Formats: sequence, C-alpha cells, structure tokens
Amino acid sequence: MIVPYSHLLLLAVILFGLGAACAVVRRNLIMILIGVEVMLNAAGLAFVGASLRWQQLDGQVFVLFIMAVAAAEVAVGLALIVFLQRRTGSVDANRYNLLKG
Amino acid sequence: MTLYGSIFYLLSATVLAATVLAITRRHAVHAVIYLILSFFGTALLFYLLGAPFLAVLEVIIYAGAIMVLFLFIIMMLRVTPSARTWGAALRQWLPAIVLGTISFSIAAAMVFADPRTQAPLKAVRAGPMELGRFLFQRYWFPVEIASFLLLIALVGALYLGKREGKSGNGQNKEAS
Amino acid sequence: MKTVLFFLIFLPLLGAFLQAVAGSRLPRRAVETIACLTVFGSLCMAILAFLSARQEGQTVILFRWFGVDDLSASMSVYYDPLSAIMALMVTFVSFLIHLYSVSFMREDEGYVRFFCYLNLFVFAMLVVTLADNLLFLYLGWEGVGFCSYALIGFWYSDEVKAAAGRKAFVLTRIGDVALGIAIGFFFIIFSNLSISSINGQATSLSSSMATALGFLLLWAAVGKSAQLPLTVWLPDAMAGPTPVSALIHAATMVTAGIYLLMRFFPVLALSPPSLLAIATVGAFTAFFAACAALAQKDIKRILAYSTISQVSYMFLGVGAGDITGGMFHLLSHAFFKALLFLAAGCVIQAFHDEHDIFRMGDLRRRLPAVFWLFLAGALSLGAVPPFGGFFSKDRILLAVFSHPEPFYRFLWAMAVVTAFLTPLYAFRLFFVVFLQRHSHEEGHVEQDRGVLPVPRLMVWVLWPLAILSLLVGLLNFPGMFSGEEWLAQFLALVPGNTSPFPVSPGLERAMQIGSGLSSIVLMVLAYFLFRPQNLLGRPSPGTLWQSLDELFFVGFYLDRLYQVGFVRPYREVARFLWEEIDEEGVDRGFDRAGELFPIFSKGLQLWASGRLSFYLKMILLGFTAILSALAIGWYFQSA
Repeated sequence: MIVPYSHLLLLAVILFGLGAACAVVRRNLIMILIGVEVMLNAAGLAFVGASLRWQQLDGQVFVLFIMAVAAAEVAVGLALIVFLQRRTGSVDANRYNLLKG
Repeated sequence: MTLYGSIFYLLSATVLAATVLAITRRHAVHAVIYLILSFFGTALLFYLLGAPFLAVLEVIIYAGAIMVLFLFIIMMLRVTPSARTWGAALRQWLPAIVLGTISFSIAAAMVFADPRTQAPLKAVRAGPMELGRFLFQRYWFPVEIASFLLLIALVGALYLGKREGKSGNGQNKEAS
Repeated sequence: MKTVLFFLIFLPLLGAFLQAVAGSRLPRRAVETIACLTVFGSLCMAILAFLSARQEGQTVILFRWFGVDDLSASMSVYYDPLSAIMALMVTFVSFLIHLYSVSFMREDEGYVRFFCYLNLFVFAMLVVTLADNLLFLYLGWEGVGFCSYALIGFWYSDEVKAAAGRKAFVLTRIGDVALGIAIGFFFIIFSNLSISSINGQATSLSSSMATALGFLLLWAAVGKSAQLPLTVWLPDAMAGPTPVSALIHAATMVTAGIYLLMRFFPVLALSPPSLLAIATVGAFTAFFAACAALAQKDIKRILAYSTISQVSYMFLGVGAGDITGGMFHLLSHAFFKALLFLAAGCVIQAFHDEHDIFRMGDLRRRLPAVFWLFLAGALSLGAVPPFGGFFSKDRILLAVFSHPEPFYRFLWAMAVVTAFLTPLYAFRLFFVVFLQRHSHEEGHVEQDRGVLPVPRLMVWVLWPLAILSLLVGLLNFPGMFSGEEWLAQFLALVPGNTSPFPVSPGLERAMQIGSGLSSIVLMVLAYFLFRPQNLLGRPSPGTLWQSLDELFFVGFYLDRLYQVGFVRPYREVARFLWEEIDEEGVDRGFDRAGELFPIFSKGLQLWASGRLSFYLKMILLGFTAILSALAIGWYFQSA
C-alpha cells in the first residue's frame, strides 16, 4: 500500500492546474507550450495511478501514447513558432491580433 | 506512513516545487531546466507506481528529447527574458489564480466525496515484457497510428521550418 | 299587393345599384333618366298601393333575411294609413327633387355619385317608412344616416363640407345608440321584432318599462330630427347641395324621428312622463330655433333653423297625444319647406352661389316666377290664413292647450311665442332677399356680376309644391268651418291614435282667429322692420337688439359648448394617445429596443479581442465552468 488513490489524483490535479496557469498567464509562446507539456504530464501521472488502482495495464499503454502525441505536437508547435518568429520577429502572444473584431 | 508512502510524498513535493519554479521564471532557459527536474521526479514516481518502462521512457522522451528540443529553439530564437514589474505581475496572475483555485476546490470536493477513491494503491510492478506483450496484443493498431502520426509531424515540422527563397525550388520539385 | 310593395321599396335600390356599377360608363342623360324613372316608378307603386289598400293595416312579408331561434329578421312591411300617407309624400317629393337635381347639378362632374346616393337614400327612407321588422327598420335608419353623411359631404374636397358631413353622422349616431338599445329591450320583453305585434301587445307593458322605452325612442328621434340637445348638426349640414337639403333636411330624414314616435305611439301612450318629455323637447327646441333663425345671414341656415323649429311643432303635437295633428303638420311642412329650399337653390344659383341674404335683392323684377313661388312658401311657413301651415299649426296649438296636464299650458305659451317669431323670420327672409334694393351698398352682387338666369326645369318643379303647400289645409279642414276632416278620418284606425281632447267650439274659434290675426300683423311688422329703406337688418352696435342678435346668431352658444365640452377634450385625448403613447411610447420603444442590438453586439465585440492570451484565459474559464456544472450535476444526483 503506497498511498490512497485520492492523494495521487490530487497531485495530478494540482500539476494540471499549474500547467494551465502557466499556459494562461505567460505571454511568451514558448512558455505557453511548456505549460501544455506540464498539463500532458499531469494527465499521464493520473493514468498511471489509475492503472495501478485497477491493476490493469491499459493506463500505462495510454501514457505511452500520450508521450508519442506530446512529442509530435511539440515538434510541430516549435516549428510553427520558428516560422512565426521569421515572419513577424516576435514571439509575444499579444502581438498576433489579426483575428480582432 | 509506510516507506513507499513517504517516498511518494517526498517525490511529489519535489515535483510540485520544481513545477512552480519552472512556471515563474523570467528566463525561458531557467524554466526548461526546472522542468527537466520536475520530469525526473515524475519518472521516479512512475517507477514507484509500478511502471518502470514508462519511467525510462519519461526520461528519454520527455526530459530528454522534448526539453532538449525546447532548448534548441530557445537558443535559436534568442528569446529575451521578459521584463516584469510587480503590479503588472499581480494583474497578470490574478485570473489564473482565481480560476485555478476554484477548479481545484471543486475537483478536491469531487475526489473526496466519492468513497471509491479512498482505495489503497498496492505496490505492484509491471515489467517491460508484460507491458510489451499487452501493448502489441491489444493495442497494436493505435501503435501503427501513432507511428503514422509521428511521420506526419515530421513532415510538417520539416515544411514549416524551411526558409523562403531557397525552399521555392525545393517545394516545386516536391509538389510535382 | 306584395309585388306592389316590393317594387315600391326596391326600385330606388335598383337604380342606385345600376348607377354604382355602370354609371360612369353610361351617358349623362341615361344616368339621370334611370334615377328619375326609378323614383317615379316608386311613386306609381305608392299610388297603386294607396288605392288598393284596406283601411286597417296589413303586414306583408317580402322575404326572410335571417333567423336564429326566436330572433327572426325578415324584410316585412306594415302598410297602414300612416305609412301609406308617408310613403306617398316621400315618393312624390323625392321625385320632384330628382327632377330638380337634374338641372341643379348640371355643371357638376360627380353626378353619378350624387344620383346613386340620392336613390339609395330614397330606398332607405322608404324602408324606415314601411318596415315592420325592427331590424329592417334599423337597416333603413342607418342607411338614411349614411346617405345623409355622404350627401352632405358631397363636395368632400372642401374640408369644411366634409367636416359637416362627419358632424351630422356622429350626432345622429348618438341617437341611434338609443334605438339599438330600445330594439334590444323590445326583443327581450316581447320575443318578437315585429312592430305591428308589439303595438298589439303594448298594453302588457308596465308603466315604468314604457317610460324607459319612451325615453329611448325619444332620444333616437332627437338625434335624427335635430332637436335639443342634438340640434347642432343641421345648420352645418347646409354645406351640402341644395336638393339634398330640400330632400333630407326638410321633408324626409328629419321627419323620420317623429315618424318613429308616431309608429310606436301605443307604447308611448302608456307613459305620460315620456309624452310630457316629448312635448317639452318640442316646445323648447321650437323657441330656441326660431330665435336663432331670426339672426342668421345665410339663406340656407335660416331655413335650417326653421326646419328644426317646425319639426319641434310635430314633437309638440305628438307629445300632446295628437298623431293626426303631427302628421298634418308633417305633410304641410314637407311641401312648403321643400318649396322654400328649392326656391332658395334657384336664388343661390342666380347670384353665382351666393348665400348671404344681405348681398341679394331686387329679384322681383329679375326672377318673377321665383318671387311668387317663394312668397307662397313663406305664407305657408308663417301660418298666414287661409294657407296650409295655418291649419296644421293651429291644430297642434289647440291640442296642446286642451291637454288636462297644467304644465302643457306653459308649453303652449312657448309655442305661441314661437308662432309669433315664425312669420317674423320668414318674412324677414323674404323681404331682404327679394325686395331689397341696394344702390349705395358695396359688395352687392348685382352691380358686380349680374344675375344669372335660372333654368326652367328648376322653376317648373316648384309649381306643384307651391299649389300643394297653399292648399294642404284642405286635407284636414276643421269641422267648424264646415269642412270634412279627411285626414283625421283616414288616420283614425292607426294604432294608438286617440281622438284629441274635446274642446268647446268657442275656444277653438277664438284661438283660430287669434293666431290668424297675429300672423298677418307680424307679416306687416316684418315688412316695416326689414324693408329696403330701413337698415334694421343690420342692427346698430351697442343696443340690446344687437347683443340679442349675436346670441341668436351663434345658436345660444350651443355649438361652442359642444366644442369645448366634448370635441376639444376628445381631440386632446386622441392627440395625447397619438403623440405621447403611440409615437413616443410604442414607436420609440421599438426603436430603442432595436438599438439594444448594436449595443449588445458591441459588448460581444470585446470578446473577440484577437489576443491569444485573452483566448487562453477564456478557455480556462470555460473549463472551470464545465467542471462546476459537472460537480453540481453529480452533487444533485447523489444527494
């Protein structure tokens, strides 16, 4: 017996909240992506805990896929940031307001 | 409090602290370093929770590949640290703090109100062979899809990363 | 008999229908011929019916209109001596006036509309005269009101004339409400809408019910016949063409009110208070109208007030219980008033549509025929013996005097004063119009433009009317002069017609001599007051006569009272509702409600700021909201 399952869930929730705060607050595009990574990681933690709780391996498999998707997403996201930097010379989120109106 | 339990609390404290620090740094590089530390802690947590293979993968893929990629891009783009004043900082963080607190309290209430979440987590380990067998017996198709996804991401990143001018001829060749 | 009555009523309707449908496509002569021929056909039918009728009344159903349970509305006709005489008079006078109109409206372009309405009016009036079913009567009653409105406001492009038509319609409508209520009462009490059966069962009414019905019928008659307090529409109604004034406001529509009272006399006879009210209304209105007529300057307005006064005499007669007297006066008035109006039309056209009598004059040389004809009418109106008006008015005065109730003496005194005023204003009119000779007055039309000749048809039509108005006294020559009282005998079997109260022959003779002498004396007095050399036609300012003159001229300020008391508040309320509530409230309210939409969308615009950080914040907010919704749902589920 390690810990009650609820403690693990709470840890995952707090981590998820921290990641969300980072994504919402920071204006740098790279920091926003970092926040997304934190959120994904927290979700993976919850999955592993669930897998242990129910003694089934599906949770761990899903964490594997989460990691794969996170990797792909980061690759494309960072490529986009590079592209944007070349186009407009800034990685400030408030700089891009062409959708205004 | 058992041994495993105390290890768990220690590790979770580390992870939390590292994440908080990562979030609040002005330099992007500092944030990435702290985040790597956080991921190390998470990997150890995975090991504790009976997923050794995933712990290794966490270190290799997450802390290794993804964060290193972040570092590459940060240095390539020459990201400058943001200037922050105290008043502005509070106004910036306030909505997130408020909403985060609300969400956390609701989630906590939900978690603790359900008696099924009080179930104990037994210390069991799933070796890589079990995981691999399970994965390729039951989830072989999503594995193929995931590899396909990675291929697409590769092509997309390649395309987005090309420079103007030189990429014109290359693009025409590829398109035809 | 049924066919005769059917054609009598519906021929003019056919004429109106033809003109409405095809009038504008037919040549002018054809339209005029159709109009006159249909009324002539009605006249022939009326004569036929008169000759072949039995002495007591008969009810003839023409055809069923609709019927629901007890309520049946059939177009049925009650033909008794009263309605026979009335129908004869209506068709005869209408026919003459149609002929006159052909010539009078010769230069007017709207002649199709005119003749259509005129025919329609004759139809409606015949319906009122002959109807047995109360709903059929109401149809005719309303039809008469509508045609009067249409014909008064015939030249509607002039706002004043159109307003006069509206005024007539609204005021008679006030009376029509009472008739509607009375019809409702009749149906509730008798379960039957037939006048003849109601009259037959009239004795079953309680006295208070009869009084209530009597007052309702009186109010309806007051509206239609322009008695106090609803007199104000008739002088303004002179805005219509003169044939209209002659037909509607001399001979037919204004007599419809008193005719209604005569028809329902068995009901009224049960209630002495209502009879007293009728007589009182008659006496006061007669006096009021005679005073006003004395001060008017417009030739048609003098005749209008005179009509009001003479119809009041009929009210007085019926109020005293004498149907024969009322009918007698109705007939003689119809003849001489129509004659006077038509002759006035000749004079008006001769003076280039001039209405002011002080701008006319010297017509004895220029229009001699009209001169003699007008004189005949004036003699009859002024009740100069031995002409028609004298006998009819005298019979009414006798009936009022001999009534057992003491209040009737006071009414008699008022009627006598009015009888003094009547020849005064009648001959004032005659002398000023025909005899005055201005050589030094400015504005005299003759010096400016000359007198137009009057078409022969217009004058020719007046001769039968003149003869009738002079000789109508023979209809009911009083017995003491060794004459047969034909009319009284003829009307003896009309329901409710009681013989008048007995009087001593000496009293009767004294009254007749007295009234005859006074009429002659007043005629001579009028000559001295209003002859050309005497400028008493225009009273000098500052005298009592002048202030009286002003009071009479505006009709005792009755019109002004209605303006201030009713019309102006109503207009204020209407204006308030229009400007404040409708325009400000409703319209602007909608405008402002519409303005809310841009405000709303501007508010929404803040949401689309385009900034990424804002969008991310909103995503977090949405996530929190969903989470709380889930929590609440889950909480309520488990609780």
